[in-house]
Order: sequence, then C-alpha cells, then structure tokens
Amino acid sequence: MPTVERKQVIPGDVIAKGDFRYGNYIEKRGDEYVALRVGLAEVGRDGVKLNPLTGPYIPHVDDQVIGKVIDIPGFGWEVDINSCFFGYLPASFVFGREFSPSTHDLSTKFKIGDLLGARIESFERSRDPQLSIRGPGLGKIPMGEIVKISPTKVPRLIGRRGYMVNMISGQTGCDLKVGQNGIVVIVGPPEGILKTVSVIKMIEDEAHVAALSSKVQEFLGVTPSGS
Amino acid sequence: MEAKRKLIDENGIRLDGRKWNELRPIKMQVGTLKNADGSAYIEFGKNKIMAAVYGPKEVHPKHEVLPDRALVRARYHMAPFSVDERKNPAPSRREIEISKVIREALEPALVVEEYPRTAIQVFVEVLQSDGGSRVAGITAASLALADAGINMRDLVSGCSSGIVDGQVVLDLNDAEDKEGSGDMPVALMPTLNRVTLLQVDGIYTRENFQKAFELAMEGGRKVYEMQRQALNEKFFSAGQMEQAPGGETGES
Amino acid sequence: MMAAVKKNYVVETIRKGQMIELLSQGKRLDGRALDEHRPLTIQTGFIQKANGSAMVTLGNTQVLAGVKVATGTPFPDTPDKGLLVVNAEVLPLSSAYAEAGPPSEDAIELARVVDRGVRESEMVDLASLCITPGKSVYTIFIDVNIMNVDGNLFDATSYAVVSALRTAKMPKYEVVDDKIKASEDLIPVPVAKTPISVTMARIGDSIIVDPTGEEEAAMDARITITTDDEGSVCAAQKGEPSTFSPEKILEAVDTSIRIGKEIRGAVWESIK
Repeated sequence: MPTVERKQVIPGDVIAKGDFRYGNYIEKRGDEYVALRVGLAEVGRDGVKLNPLTGPYIPHVDDQVIGKVIDIPGFGWEVDINSCFFGYLPASFVFGREFSPSTHDLSTKFKIGDLLGARIESFERSRDPQLSIRGPGLGKIPMGEIVKISPTKVPRLIGRRGYMVNMISGQTGCDLKVGQNGIVVIVGPPEGILKTVSVIKMIEDEAHVAALSSKVQEFLGVTPSGS
Repeated sequence: MEAKRKLIDENGIRLDGRKWNELRPIKMQVGTLKNADGSAYIEFGKNKIMAAVYGPKEVHPKHEVLPDRALVRARYHMAPFSVDERKNPAPSRREIEISKVIREALEPALVVEEYPRTAIQVFVEVLQSDGGSRVAGITAASLALADAGINMRDLVSGCSSGIVDGQVVLDLNDAEDKEGSGDMPVALMPTLNRVTLLQVDGIYTRENFQKAFELAMEGGRKVYEMQRQALNEKFFSAGQMEQAPGGETGES
Repeated sequence: MMAAVKKNYVVETIRKGQMIELLSQGKRLDGRALDEHRPLTIQTGFIQKANGSAMVTLGNTQVLAGVKVATGTPFPDTPDKGLLVVNAEVLPLSSAYAEAGPPSEDAIELARVVDRGVRESEMVDLASLCITPGKSVYTIFIDVNIMNVDGNLFDATSYAVVSALRTAKMPKYEVVDDKIKASEDLIPVPVAKTPISVTMARIGDSIIVDPTGEEEAAMDARITITTDDEGSVCAAQKGEPSTFSPEKILEAVDTSIRIGKEIRGAVWESIK
C-alpha cells in the first residue's frame, strides 16, 4: 500500500516539489507547494493536502452549523455562528411568505440566547450568510452540554464517514450534534457527557497525532481494530 | 556636560556584554491570551511585548469595508510603565506611525483576498520597552497571526541593526539606540526573501549600509528559527508523528 | 472565539438554565462553591523598568499593574502631600467586546473604582511624600492594563494594584544645591494598608463570589466590597440595573470580610 508522507508545517514551508493535485491552505509557487497555515501536510496519491490545526470558520453553503440568537433586528434573527460574519435567519423562512411583523412576534419562535441547529442556505459576497432551519434535526436545540472546539478539528471529531462520532456516541450513550463551525451539543447521561467532553478535548489537543484513533478507542473501552 | 560614554570597549564588548553580532536573549510563546483569536508573547532582551489578533471579523465602520479583501489594521501601543519616564496612555504620534509601519510590514504576508469584507485586527502592546520594540512586536504579531490560522504566505521576522561608536552592530538596546549614531529596523518574509519593513535613522556610508542591512537580515533569519520553534511548541509538542499506511486523518 | 463585531456577550439560554439549576444545589458551572474564587496567581516585579509591578491572573482574567514614581508640583490646597495618578485601561486586545478609542462607561467605572480604592483607603501615605512644601512632591502613577477579560475585573485589578504598590521601590528625593537629587539606594513606596476587594454577583437568590465572564453576563446584580486590614469596609460599589435585598447586602459584607482576609493572606504570601 502506498504510504502517505506526513509533515508538520508552518506558513511558508515547502510541502512538496513537482506536479500534484493540491487542496486548500496551499499555494503553488512554480513547482513548489507551499503551506499557508500551521498544520499537518500530506503528500500521497491524492496529491498534496494540508490539514490545518487552527483557523476561523468560513461559511460554506450546505454546512450544518450551531449558532445562538443574539439579536432580533426586525425581519429575522441575527445568529452568532462563530464566524467572521453573523448569520441571518429570515423570518419568512420560518413563518412562511405570509410573514408580517405586525402579525408575527419573532421572539415567540426564537428568543435571544436560544441555540439553533441551522444550515447555510446562501452566502453571497455582498451579504451576511443566510440560514435555514428546514431539514431533519434543525431548529431550536432545547438542551445539552455545549462544547466549543476549533472548526479545524471538526473533521477529526466526525471521522471518515462519521466513524469517530458514531463510536463516541455508541460508547457513551450520548447523542452528539456537531456543527461545522466548531460548536458541539451533547445530550445524554451525566457520566456519558463527562466521558464525551474528555474525548473531545483529547481530539482537540492531539488532532495532529496519528495514533489518536487508537488512543480514543482505548479511552472509550473499545478493542482497537486493525486499520 | 558629561562626556559621551563608550558603548563598546576596546575588546569589542558592548555595555551588556555582547559582541557586535550577537542578539539579546529572546523568548517566545504562542497562545498566551485566551480571548484573542491568536496571540503571542515575546521577550527581546528587556523588551516584553504581547501581540494579539482578532479576526477575520466584520468591518466597523461599515463604509470602510473592502469588497474583495480583508482590511488589515494594526495598533502599536506602549504601556505607561513600559519606559523610564511614565508615558501618557493616549496614543502618541510615534505610536501611530509605528502602527502604520507594522501593518505594512505584516500585510504582504497575509492572503487578504481569502477574507473579503472582513477586518483583521493586530495589536502590539509593549509592556516593557528597551530598543527594537517595533521589530520584536512584528515578530510576535506574525506568530499571533499564524496562531489565529489566517492564511499566510510566510512568517514575518524582524530584527534591527545600527551604528554604535562607529561600528555596525546587531540588535540595539535602548541605550545603544539613544546614544548611538544609527538605528535600522528591518523585517522580512524569510522563505520568500522579501523585505517588508525598512527604516533608517542616522547616516550610513554605502559600505556601512550594506553591512548593517545584511546583519539585520541575518538576525531576522535567526529570529525566524525561534518563531518556528515557538509554533512547534504550541502545535506539535504532544505525541509523535508517525507514517501510517493509507492515512487515517479521518476526513469526512 | 471568532468574533464578528460582538455587541454584548449573550449567554446561551441553555447555559443560564444549567447555571441556575446548579446554583440551587450550591454549585457552579466550573465546579466551584458559591463563595469560592478562581485560582489566583500574582507575579510581582514583572516590569523591571517600573518602580513596582504585578501580573495577576484570576482564572482567565489577566491584569497587569505598574507603578512609576516621579516628582511633580503639588496641588495648591495640599502643598505638602504627594500626588497620586490612577489609571485603568481595558486594552482592546483583552476581549472581542473591547474597542480601541475613548473608554466605555464600564471602563470608566472600573478606572474610578480603582482610583477610589487606592485614594480613599489612604493606602499610600501621601503626607510622607513631600520634597519641598508648595514646590515639589513625589508623584505616584498607578497604571493598570487589562490583558484578558473573563469577569471580575474589579478584584483582579485590586489585587494587582495592591501587590504592585506593596512591592514598589523608589529613590529618595532630596533637594541638594537647589536641585532635586535622587538617591542611589531605593526605599519602599510608603504603603500602610492592603485593601482587598471582593466582588459578588446575584443570580436569582444566590450570591456567588468572583463571577466569570459568563456568570456576569447572566447576573442580575453585582456588588464589590473592599475591606482593609482591620476588616473594616472602606469602599463599596453596587452595579447592574437590578437590586439587592438589605439582608443580601449584609450577607455580602460578611462574605467580603471573610474572603478578603483569605485573599489578603495570599497576597502577602506572594509578595514576600
């Protein structure tokens, strides 16, 4: 099996030379592929990749995020989605096209401080990202333990095709809602929540460690499977 | 009136015991403030400087927003107790100029096109000052930007040189800056080999200019190695890197 | 936490609910008891160029105080008393909610409360800081920089100021041949007392000591009470647009005397 070469890089480091496909956080300079972030670089058959270890959440259409309502400016809700822009949930998306401020009191649906699961519906260059709550599992989140992680660690927490988050869920008896924006809500029994929070912290602190999965499995009491 | 004291003795040793091409002791730490998106603390000799980054974030006032890139702002500020004679906390003209020069030293390294309609705010707070605070501040700010995870083409590393008792020396402290005859702060992007900050205070012959400039650039590269170490300490210190077949980063 | 431009910190309703539920059991979100303060660290002498300094962390709140001593002209109505200039700044780097520019009303309140805490408690013996009556006196500058905000700036600042002043050293100024001469040797800045403030927040019926930023965002009212070495109250400040019952005020005073004594001990330990 072809190996993947891994490197710890800082901005400006040359990851590889040659002719490769390459992904985000990488700049091509002639035949050199240069890191733009602190992270773990990989050179393999899929090309040159960089997994950043730090950075902001930039909204993308169809991302599922978790945000909190911080203001109700009139025709919708302003939502803090842990990003460089606030998200906006139009009232018409919730009440329908017949919405009118004189007949609908927005705070009866969502109040300031409420936590919402939402989807990035659109993100145009000239406006703040628009949110939608239409979809399974979206809408107000009434309870749970709230944990915040770096958005760059979310892929690690979810795992390839969800294997990590499913394993955590199975072993702790908890339900995890993971927002692409780094906000996680855990619902379950108290001991399960404590375990889950510890695992999340472990993943945050050691996302760069290749043996992390086995470590997590061991912590959760799962017999480590072969890779 | 007192005679000017000698800043370099007959053995080429400076007042603080250094040779002409020696840096002061330098200490760097990344991620020192909890609230900031990125932060770093640096000690350059007696300089003690905290740098912080907030952003990308919304632009205020709204009319200053740039449609296709991030607006970069920098604030260099000295604490009232950072200098020998207590300084009024209100920003001075010197601080405003240095803020601008710092912004212009860091901006070339940032991929600002990646963050349209946002602001990236850099703070350099000098807690104790002892010559060369702007290049030390740039060095710390560059670490804070990397810590914040803003796309950067390169780090920015700063160092100063100057002329003291007729000799070109590296990394002036406060006494050498005040009593010497030249000060040259320099900042560079090390892997791109581009200069992002250059200021000259004093008179340099062509020969001395090259000597001082190259000395500062070399000092900057030494600073760069320390910046890398500081980033490694924060991001890569726990656990070992392994070669794993097929890769298991677990990307969804 | 990535910030757009934060207006005011909004606590999630879920968090506030969890806070209140725990309070009914005498506990807090971070596991502390109601009257427990966060870990306190005090590092004096942080700024060698200052006459005195202290870097204080109270949980995640971080504050740096510096003392500078100079000479100045006394006020005409107090010709033989030294001058005291107290300044506190919430640095814009300390929080996503702090902006550079003219200070907010919160920042001004902080600066004035700190000023009163030093001035009204008479902790610096200004009467002993005269050089030539009517002409020259010592000027003591106390500057506070807030480095990271996570609640309870009042107390963190109070401990930093007290620690910086108690460890501050200055030259002795004397008039020699019509000029003010500074001695080579340093003497301690004359500080007679160690006033310690204790800030409490009311959330519902519970009084909690040393609120975090999140607890402050959820609190109804706040009170800061400063006590001196004898356990007498020398300053108090109630904040936030809500109320305290008279019984709770007295309860707060008792808590402040008790906790203040413990913290005073910790301050003395760290400045030895």
